[in-house]
Amino acid sequence: MKLRNIIPSLLLAALLSACDHPTVPTNAQKEDRLPVITPDFTEVTVPSNICPLNFAVQEGATDVVAHVSYPGGSQTFGSGTKVIIEENDWKEMLSKAEGKNLKVEVYAKVNGTWKAFSPFNIYIAPDTIDSYISYRVIQPSYVAYEKLSINERNITNFDEREIYNNMSVSTEDKGQCINCHSYQNFKTDNMLFHMRQAYGGTMIVNNGTLKKIDLKTEETISAGVYPAWHPTRNLIAFSTNKTGQSFHTKDLNKIEVQDTESDLILYDVDKNEVSIISELEDELEVFPTWSPDGKTLYFCSAKFEYKNDSIAKETEMIQRYKEVKYNIYAADFNPDTKEFSNMHVIYNAADSLGKSATLPRVSPDGRHLLFAQAEYGCFHVWHNDADIYMLDLKTLKAEPVKNVNSDRSESYPTWSSNGRWIMVDSRRQDGNYTRPYIAYYDRQGKVHKAFVLPQKDPNFYTFYLRCFNRPEFMVEPVKVTPQEFAKKAKEDAIPAKYAK
Amino acid sequence: MKQKTTYIYLSAFIILAYILLPVLNADYLYTIQDNGIFINGKTFMNDMVNHYGGVTTWLACYLTQFMYHPWLGSTILILLWSFIYLSCVWYFQSRGYWKALLLLVPSALLFNILDYGYWIYYAKSPGFAFQPTLLTLFAVLAACTLRQILQAIKFKWATHIATDIVLLCCSAALTTLVGQWKLNNHRCSILTTLSDNNFRHELSMYRSLDEMRFNDVINEYKTAKETPTNLMVLFKNTALLHTGKLTDMFTTGNIGIKPEGENLPRLTISRLGAPLIYYLHGHTLFAYRRAMENNVQYGQNFRSIKMMARCALINQEFDLAFKYLTILRASIFHRQWAEQRLAYLTNSTIWMQSQEYQQVAPLAAILPSNLDNDEGVCHQYLMDTFSTLFDKSKATEDLAICMSLWNLDVYSFCVHFYDYVNDNPEAAIPQLYQEGAILLGTSEESPITLDGFRFDQLVADKFNQFVAEYRHMRELGIPEEDIGQRLRPYYGTTYWWYYYFSPAINFY
Repeated sequence: MKLRNIIPSLLLAALLSACDHPTVPTNAQKEDRLPVITPDFTEVTVPSNICPLNFAVQEGATDVVAHVSYPGGSQTFGSGTKVIIEENDWKEMLSKAEGKNLKVEVYAKVNGTWKAFSPFNIYIAPDTIDSYISYRVIQPSYVAYEKLSINERNITNFDEREIYNNMSVSTEDKGQCINCHSYQNFKTDNMLFHMRQAYGGTMIVNNGTLKKIDLKTEETISAGVYPAWHPTRNLIAFSTNKTGQSFHTKDLNKIEVQDTESDLILYDVDKNEVSIISELEDELEVFPTWSPDGKTLYFCSAKFEYKNDSIAKETEMIQRYKEVKYNIYAADFNPDTKEFSNMHVIYNAADSLGKSATLPRVSPDGRHLLFAQAEYGCFHVWHNDADIYMLDLKTLKAEPVKNVNSDRSESYPTWSSNGRWIMVDSRRQDGNYTRPYIAYYDRQGKVHKAFVLPQKDPNFYTFYLRCFNRPEFMVEPVKVTPQEFAKKAKEDAIPAKYAK
Repeated sequence: MKQKTTYIYLSAFIILAYILLPVLNADYLYTIQDNGIFINGKTFMNDMVNHYGGVTTWLACYLTQFMYHPWLGSTILILLWSFIYLSCVWYFQSRGYWKALLLLVPSALLFNILDYGYWIYYAKSPGFAFQPTLLTLFAVLAACTLRQILQAIKFKWATHIATDIVLLCCSAALTTLVGQWKLNNHRCSILTTLSDNNFRHELSMYRSLDEMRFNDVINEYKTAKETPTNLMVLFKNTALLHTGKLTDMFTTGNIGIKPEGENLPRLTISRLGAPLIYYLHGHTLFAYRRAMENNVQYGQNFRSIKMMARCALINQEFDLAFKYLTILRASIFHRQWAEQRLAYLTNSTIWMQSQEYQQVAPLAAILPSNLDNDEGVCHQYLMDTFSTLFDKSKATEDLAICMSLWNLDVYSFCVHFYDYVNDNPEAAIPQLYQEGAILLGTSEESPITLDGFRFDQLVADKFNQFVAEYRHMRELGIPEEDIGQRLRPYYGTTYWWYYYFSPAINFY
């Protein structure tokens, strides 16, 4: 047979096999338990517009078949030990099962024998999720860094792209670190992120126009660090921090990131002015976040009095690091006068519980506040005991969000724009690499089992040696291109003015 | 005859290449592989190919892993170079001595791979050992294909253009090589690779230490004819620690230097060996940190991932260990290593019986828990940390005493010595400790007077003789440095000589 005759046949065979749905084994032995699958998508509730939940079966199998039933039909999938679902098939199933569930029956061929595991459900919520998220891609490094990027992921499919990549301006001698991205009301016309060291400054997109600002003034501790864009005004609350790192010799938390000093500032984008929100002595203020109406600023603060003048603050902080415990505060804000008043504790973690509460985020309806809580300190991404709590802002009672917590670190909680989805950064998989987990918050106030951000390849997370830090929801993609960011990054930053 | 000369030239080149690569530089090639990575799978592939020239990089990474067996990796390289040479001969229709001249192309590629020296630790381009060869190969192949096509369609004048193109491509590839040298500023590092004996000892000692062949480390150190580097001293002392012979620290030579040279990168022990040294001292969190930092700063590499897996095992972070071991299992040559350790995860008995657990876990167990920072100087940090470790543990007894001596920490040594003698009343006091105690026991810095202990008469007499000779030479007005040199033949391996005459350690 000539080659030209074989090629079309091969192509056809390849095409057919790509569209092929395996048959369900008929003589499978029943296993009275759920299959072990990665990622764990068993009994999770997902948005009606999420990308396919591809998974791999970890049963030492050579072949697997997943039979997925949905209202009005069923389909089978399976390729080796993976269950990869075509996007079109998945969308069809989601549209038919919205508000209901997919029933997944997994069959695995182990040592030549097919096993049928107990079926599990994937519940399809009647609510959609914001189509985009963004996160900083970084290795769980200590001091060194090389390639960093802020990436945008369309979570209705598997498309991912870089918003900004530090290697576009970094050189061997001049490395650049990037961090802390923030959006106003989940939209990208007003957004920001920071760059440190080479070409340092804060990149601010304001009504689609890009500026690079130097927020450090003589009167403030540092440039802006942790940001929160006011929901209606061109104002951004930042913390300013003097931050240091030290390293555990035995504790598996591995790293402590500590502020020896920190305050809060307000940046007026239109006037390019920085003013002080709070610079209380013996208080370490950090992590500002606004209420949805923009009339309250929430933040964290730890009382810490330096007692030993004979040693550097950094040294004393290292010696007493376990004493640093943060409470959550609220301050009234008048958007017209830009004045803050009535600063008060709303959640006393330090004195009442001996804990440290950080990273507050308010729900879009203004009723609840998510935060991360651990034994001590502010940088809970490195604290294995850190869990997510939800504070009812009416009753001021907090409860752990059990279905998103694990025995490893959870941090950076955030809400979707419709308030129906919670996203947190979790290190539950291995203790070191943060992955975004999403959980449904239903209308009855119940938080459902969290699931990891799905990837096209189910084994992606095992082989990926970078973290997804500070995940944020967005309702639209970032419009400024990486090239525009890079070009602006190379320009000098405009110094912000200090306003009393 | 025409063919014959081609193959004679080629054979000569092949013999030379084999001598320069696997025969003389096997550890060098192995280290290049160890500092590289190739993970079979989509995640790694996507990571590689999402850059300009990514497919070449991916392929270069794939081929680099064969350097695990230096003969195998070298054979692949030599085959590629031979193919490039034969293609050039065919392409240029070369005759006579011109054929010999064309050997410049593979020779340049051979030179390139040997020209890294210490830069093998600092080169950030993944698969750098194979990249120039692959680029040249693609250029030559492209030109040959073009020529074939043009000849087939009888476009004679176009073949000349093709010649120009291939020359351009080759020169572009070579310019890339030259560009790499200039960018990395590693001119003439080939001398380091071929003739810097300490560099070669370091490569060999690292591998032996990594495979826990401690006696091989010590034997390699003993073959050094020049003053060793600090890294070699650290490797040797680490091996002594694990063979129970740490008290031989000074008799085996304990004075190292920092490698110097204008073509060297900014060498740090953090990059060259700190993860392994920390690990074998039980300091698994700092070993993990340094491995992670190296993996971030200089690109993913087998060496760091293996170290992170080992640390995770000792730290009982089994999910993390599983992650790294799963990655390593997806490689060709580290698969067996990974599978052996994956078995530990399901069978704690064999894990606890393993050499690694038995050698490292007892040291890890006694480390105090606190916040600390080595400030990038592993050598000094280890000396400071273990000098001041007053845990009275058998596992670190020798380590603490020897480190305090090495660190010239009189206070800590005297406390350690006092504890040692009281905890081991029946045991003979090692000569090194006696030398230390005789010298430092009456020092003002000592919190305890140690002159009440009974020392061996031979040691005491030798010390008295040392003092007498030293004083005599000082009275004669002999400069301190000359006194040191005169006393060295007889006292050079004693602690007294180290205490008085060794230069300050140049930490890096």
